[in-house]
Amino acid sequence: MIKVESLNKIYENGRIQVAALKNINLTVSQGEFVAIMGASGSGKSTLMNILGCLDRANSGKYFLEQVDVSSLNDDELAKIRNLKIGFVFQAFNLLPKLTALENVELPMIYAGAKHKERREKALAALDKVGLSDRVLHLPNELSGGQKQRVAIARALVNSPSILLADEPTGNLDSKSSEEIMGIFQKLNDEGVTIVMVTHEPEIAHHTKRIVTFKDGEIITDKFVDNPIRVGGDAL
Amino acid sequence: MNIFESLKSALRNLMSNKMRSFLTMLGIIIGIASVIMITSIGAGSRAAITSEFDKLGVGLLTIQMKGSNDAKLRDFLTLDDVELIKKHPEVKNVTPYFEAWGASIKLKNPKEEKSGYIIGINEEYRFMVPPDLLYGRFIIESDCKAKSKVVVIDEVLAEKVFGRKDVVGETITVRLWRGNLKFTVIGVTKNSNAALESIMGAEMPSALYMPIQTVMDIYLVDYLDYIYVSVKDPEKIDQTAIELNKMLEMKHRNEDAYYIRSLMDEIEMINQVLGYITAFISFVAGISLFVGGIGVMNIMLVTVTERTREIGIRKSLGAKNKDIRKQFLIEAVILTVIGGIIGIIAGFLGGSLVGMLMDVTPKVSLFSILVTVGVSSLVGIIAGVYPANKAAKLDPIEALRYE
Repeated sequence: MIKVESLNKIYENGRIQVAALKNINLTVSQGEFVAIMGASGSGKSTLMNILGCLDRANSGKYFLEQVDVSSLNDDELAKIRNLKIGFVFQAFNLLPKLTALENVELPMIYAGAKHKERREKALAALDKVGLSDRVLHLPNELSGGQKQRVAIARALVNSPSILLADEPTGNLDSKSSEEIMGIFQKLNDEGVTIVMVTHEPEIAHHTKRIVTFKDGEIITDKFVDNPIRVGGDAL
Repeated sequence: MNIFESLKSALRNLMSNKMRSFLTMLGIIIGIASVIMITSIGAGSRAAITSEFDKLGVGLLTIQMKGSNDAKLRDFLTLDDVELIKKHPEVKNVTPYFEAWGASIKLKNPKEEKSGYIIGINEEYRFMVPPDLLYGRFIIESDCKAKSKVVVIDEVLAEKVFGRKDVVGETITVRLWRGNLKFTVIGVTKNSNAALESIMGAEMPSALYMPIQTVMDIYLVDYLDYIYVSVKDPEKIDQTAIELNKMLEMKHRNEDAYYIRSLMDEIEMINQVLGYITAFISFVAGISLFVGGIGVMNIMLVTVTERTREIGIRKSLGAKNKDIRKQFLIEAVILTVIGGIIGIIAGFLGGSLVGMLMDVTPKVSLFSILVTVGVSSLVGIIAGVYPANKAAKLDPIEALRYE
């Protein structure tokens, strides 16, 4: 599914060069639920940006479903972001003037879907995250947890290969965080591959695998023995 | 992203900032409205002048000596030439025309005078340029033959001299270079300077129409300023002009000594001048359109900065650079096109208002509407390209971090 080989990313800030990623090798298979942990500046967000095709590495290879993404141009990357990747952000990143439904429809507009198809799929996605009674609300009429659920519906609506979540619970209270993790686990049970950045160990233990970064390198990569199941039923 | 979705999204964004959108449009509205107003008044004036000339008939020729430095006495136009031209089969009417300035007409109080000018013509003049007679009659053949001291004046002068308009049979005193002369009024016309006076806002000199022979006797001359000719078939006017020129050249034994212009030429000349004036004022008005375009560009740049985060979000969801570019370009074009349409309507209304004050019917052609719509979309594209490109080139990560 995802395979990165000898990935390097260097930021140049004037004369100072900062190596954000040093020789990263990582493989994520279909159906995995991975948490990426580490202090701020450890390189985890940089990796997410590269995995999400928003940024490019300076060297190394990135294969997404056997396609060498590092060789694609801007338009091709936009298409990958549109169809293969679903983003969930810490700050929700909903467009404030669009309703929940319209926000969810947005990726399909760029995919060129017809109006009727968009409406049906967006309603289905909102139903899946339990928001079918809020479809015509604007983001500022929704709670933080509801906003994040709209964002998840938007990330899912083009049936991407992988869901990338960058601190999805960072702006949420513990109850909403719990709900969001429940949705992620449900989606993962249905076969959705999820990579999630977090700095909260409690949240990370809801996943099946934890990769820890420090100073641009992976220091640990281990499977979670007994993931916390939302709703109490442990695996 | 298809065009319909782009339009919908652009309209939604413009509507969410109504005041700003309107103020931005205002620059375009004012620019387009002034261009439309000026061109419609210009076209209206031209039509009015053309129809004014049409009343005189299209088949009118003016013959004039070129009067270059080596012009000789034998080149001058005379009454004999009038007789010669009458012989051409295509000629309907001919009149000599001699104009003398520096006449002063004694008013009721003999110490007061009004300036005027004398026009000498013959009995056929009244068929070629029909006078608006209020009382009496115009110059006829017997007046010319007898060299009568008769005059046709207009109502304004009649009022000034006699305090009333029906003054046929009265005598007026005109001070000329050779002293005071008395003339009998045989006709009174409407105010011939009405149009000019309303524009200039001042009293114009009065015209005194007299038989040509009378005028020539007074001024001791035997040459003419012009000869006016009306032809039977306006279609053949150019050919007739050439033939008349040849007749004159043969008689005077000269070459290239006369201008023969048809009224059409004069209309064209006036229209050309009016066209230049309209074009110049439109150019000045066009500058305000240019300024409006800069306003649109400015606001689009502000919008792009304000919506940096939105651009980042859209890109992360799969918007290509060209999708973003299209979105902002369409917004700019909508601003200018709607502004343009409102401007056309405002310009038309403004033109009608000014037209009413100037007594001109403004004319808005389909062509000028198409051109202004085209120009305003072009302004939108030009004003939108730079901001739209700036938006399209934003780095998605930077844009997503933007607060």
